[in-house]
Amino acid sequence: MKSHDKGSLLTCCLAAALGLVLAASPVLAADKAVKIGNVEPLSGPSASVGVQGKQAREMAVEEINAAGGIKSLGGAKLELVYADSKSDPTVGVTETERLINTEKVNLMTGCWNSAVTYPATQVAERYGIPFVVPVAVRDTITERGFKNVFRVAAKDSWWVRDQFRFLKDMQEETGTKLKTIAFVFENGDWGTGFAEKWRELAKKDGYEVVLDEPYPSTATDLTPVVTKLKSANPDIVMLVSNAADAILLTNTMAEMQVKPKVVLASGGGHADPKFLENTGDTAYGIFDEVEWNTDVNKPGAKETNAKFKKKYGYDLTGESVDAYASMYVIADALERAASTDPAKVREALASTKLSTGPAMIVSYDGVEFDKDGQNKNAGIVIVQVAKIDGKPQRVTVWPKSARRAGYTPVFPANK
Amino acid sequence: MTAVIQATLNGIMMGSMYGLTALGLTLIFGVMKVINFAHGSLLMVGMFSAYWLIKLTGIHPYLALLIVPPVLYVFGYYLQDVVIKPVFKAERQTREPATVIIVTTGVWYVLDNLSLMLFGAEYRTVRTAISNKSMALGPYILSIPKFSGFVIAVLATIGLALFMRKTKIGMALRATALDREAANLMGIDQYKVYNIAFGLGTAIAGIAGCVLIPFYYVYPSVGVVFDIRAFIIVVLGGLGSIPGALLGGLVIGLIESVFSQFMASTWTEAIIYAIFLIILFVKPSGFFGNKQDW
Amino acid sequence: MSRKQLDTSLLGLAALIAFGLPLVVTSPTYLQILILLFFYAYLTTSWNLVGGFAGVLPLGHSVFVGIGAYTSTILTLQYGVSPWIGMLVGGLLAALVGVIIGLPTFRLRGAYFCLCTIAFAEGIRVMVENIDSLGPLKINGPRGLLIPLKEPSFWHYQFMSKLPYYYIILTLLILVLALTWFISRSKIGYYLAAGGEEPEAATALGVNVANCKLLAMALSCFFTALAGTFYAQLMLYFYPKGLMGLDLSFEIAFIALIGGRGTIAGPVIGALVLRPLNEFTRIYLSDMLPGLHLVIFGLILILVMLYKPQGLTAPLAAAYDKLARKITRAPNAKGAAA
Repeated sequence: MKSHDKGSLLTCCLAAALGLVLAASPVLAADKAVKIGNVEPLSGPSASVGVQGKQAREMAVEEINAAGGIKSLGGAKLELVYADSKSDPTVGVTETERLINTEKVNLMTGCWNSAVTYPATQVAERYGIPFVVPVAVRDTITERGFKNVFRVAAKDSWWVRDQFRFLKDMQEETGTKLKTIAFVFENGDWGTGFAEKWRELAKKDGYEVVLDEPYPSTATDLTPVVTKLKSANPDIVMLVSNAADAILLTNTMAEMQVKPKVVLASGGGHADPKFLENTGDTAYGIFDEVEWNTDVNKPGAKETNAKFKKKYGYDLTGESVDAYASMYVIADALERAASTDPAKVREALASTKLSTGPAMIVSYDGVEFDKDGQNKNAGIVIVQVAKIDGKPQRVTVWPKSARRAGYTPVFPANK
Repeated sequence: MTAVIQATLNGIMMGSMYGLTALGLTLIFGVMKVINFAHGSLLMVGMFSAYWLIKLTGIHPYLALLIVPPVLYVFGYYLQDVVIKPVFKAERQTREPATVIIVTTGVWYVLDNLSLMLFGAEYRTVRTAISNKSMALGPYILSIPKFSGFVIAVLATIGLALFMRKTKIGMALRATALDREAANLMGIDQYKVYNIAFGLGTAIAGIAGCVLIPFYYVYPSVGVVFDIRAFIIVVLGGLGSIPGALLGGLVIGLIESVFSQFMASTWTEAIIYAIFLIILFVKPSGFFGNKQDW
Repeated sequence: MSRKQLDTSLLGLAALIAFGLPLVVTSPTYLQILILLFFYAYLTTSWNLVGGFAGVLPLGHSVFVGIGAYTSTILTLQYGVSPWIGMLVGGLLAALVGVIIGLPTFRLRGAYFCLCTIAFAEGIRVMVENIDSLGPLKINGPRGLLIPLKEPSFWHYQFMSKLPYYYIILTLLILVLALTWFISRSKIGYYLAAGGEEPEAATALGVNVANCKLLAMALSCFFTALAGTFYAQLMLYFYPKGLMGLDLSFEIAFIALIGGRGTIAGPVIGALVLRPLNEFTRIYLSDMLPGLHLVIFGLILILVMLYKPQGLTAPLAAAYDKLARKITRAPNAKGAAA
């Protein structure tokens, strides 16, 4: 239509081609550091958890380097290379490709979002680069027969399994009998994944499901959901919420005076360090399932958390502890591999048997991967939000062996 | 039945506030004939202003209503004057320049991410004297911050409508809205009117911010959630119509609240879009829209 | 050398460079960035058929990308149909949906049309997120669809290296560019241009603007959907929020407006500017201060619109024109002297 269009197209193509040729000239990476690529959501809707994971990794790597780096590699230092996924799988994949090919990272870790981790690990698998996943809970991430994917945290189905174990144990312990159950969950892949398994287990354990309600995680108002919850009047409410909706749901339930006997959340938004700050005394009694809690009875846990809090101003969360521990898992594997060759590192990771060291502030006994790369020992704890010294605090209540000494769980929370 | 009435009450309260978030958008469209894609970000600025004001000084959230909107007015006035006006000048002959959409989207990216850089990504709420308070009305429960939000939203809508009818500036705004060239000939400075309209629209986003903060949370991309809904509301009510924004908001609020008593609340979103499209095809001008705008 | 010869030879050279680029750019990272660049250029060129030439501003094109990706993937996963066939089916389906959407919306103008396309796209996305299976078809709601790794082959539309993907998207891009060039010089193109600027006048002259717009819409949607299949096969995973969300729709429109809406080269130039900007600001800045890269991105959007509201194509074309005139005039002058 316009006669000069063709021409301008040309000029641009030429310029771009030239630019790309220049940019693509090989980058020489020859320092002694071991590079660890790290894809995290650093902007966008999940930026806050991304930053938490980033800071936890930073602290771990500082510690490892300060302690002399990887000794079998002549004291090589670990170096983290970050990339922002924006919670977008396309960006996650592109960044993984870049970290592997251009930054020449020796290992990969990330990506928090299951939706990003899933395709990103596929990229790493194709290139044969070991990928350590601290958290991204979707089952299928370690169920594709991949050789290079290792997950430290527990997966979806274990989380749900333990939620129902908890309910059963607590009913036996306190002699209560709860019959009806409601599911309220965000309608993303995380929430719907959980709900699918809830339905199975609720049926198996003989609960009557009185409400099965997904809600959009971008909802501006959750009063309609809470109104529904009020008329369904269940004994137990199971929740999966992201950061914002967890706050909204808790406050709205208080406002509408909805008091189910047990509220059991699944980490995520309820475990966010800001959750208690934003809900105040409306959160008392809520049970929450997490990978870790500050009062976990493990050597070093208190000190590590104190150090972290001093450095960044908030408590460690389960997710950040997994990220922290993952760095030690990587260091341990590198130490044993005595090489940065991906195949050797992969072998070393596969034979990981980590049960000592700073990483063992985790709530479970150690890290040991099964043939699919899933940490066999990964476990969860359940905490209750309780008023201690006039302030809301998260107190570990389950498994019983991990329960904070002297605390009696309030179960049911509302009579 | 109790649940349905409870849901209706809640729908009216939330709907009026949705209307308030859309009011500034509709005013700006009515006068300037462009969709301000940065409207959600202006709402975010309003919420953050209210948040910091209340957090740092501890004043009652409704006292913030006296401070935040004027500040936001100045902010919006100069934002339009500096950033958006040049585009209008460059595209004088176009009635609805598409470039303004890009510019306002650029403003949206800049504002949202500046606040990400300044305040971080976390969700913030501020405890105020009225947070989480509710009153019982027989078997029904009314949230106090939402109820006062409803009152303020209605007052703001009436106030703006009166302003447009009774004051000289309001009449200049309306004249420009009806016929830009004629208004120009009458000696009305078109660009000054745009500045005022944009300032007013931003100030209303400030009011909405003050109203939301006692029961909602703020984070850098909070505006996006309200943005799309505001777009739907203004089309439902009629782009440019002030009572239309309130009515559109109420319709959306009621659908969201009442329909979700009968189906999964994720479906109400789809129903809102369906109703929106039906109205658009049956009566594109919405409830109170101007024929010339579509 | 005449002007026409110059144009043709430069165009040939550009094509040659585009095809030969992978000989130089061997890093999969840059290849991936190039693939995405072409992917966006292709999407925007498809969008341009209606968004540029028909004079309206659709902001919901991601829904057609979604239709393409879902159709071919569901056919592959459940019925073993090759994605290549699924791609065509998806394209036809998208064209049909496009016409259904176009019929009522083309009556609307300006802002109403914009918001209407947003509502359509968001409405369909929300529905997809709410539906686990549609009759026998497994849609999988918000979790999206995963394509398992298969034996790499052309038939499976899966390859070990990036190279085939590069050539597929490049071919698609050239195809749709050629189509745009052809349409812009055909009667339909003139009708569209007339209808876009002055619909009443065009109708008065007996031009069936509505039918032309619908045809443009059908073509645009068809080609947009092909990109959906390409994306699905490249990433082997997609989900509604990522693929059908407004972000993608907006980005397409940005590229067009920055490049120059309604010009043939506009989408390519827009993609050449915005994509690397997007990628490199993210790569180099997101680590320093989260959000900074998007602030810069937003500022550049504003600045381009302030100084070049018609997009970057017009000034670049003028510069080329000047240069070309110099080159073509010089030998001619010599020829005259001899």
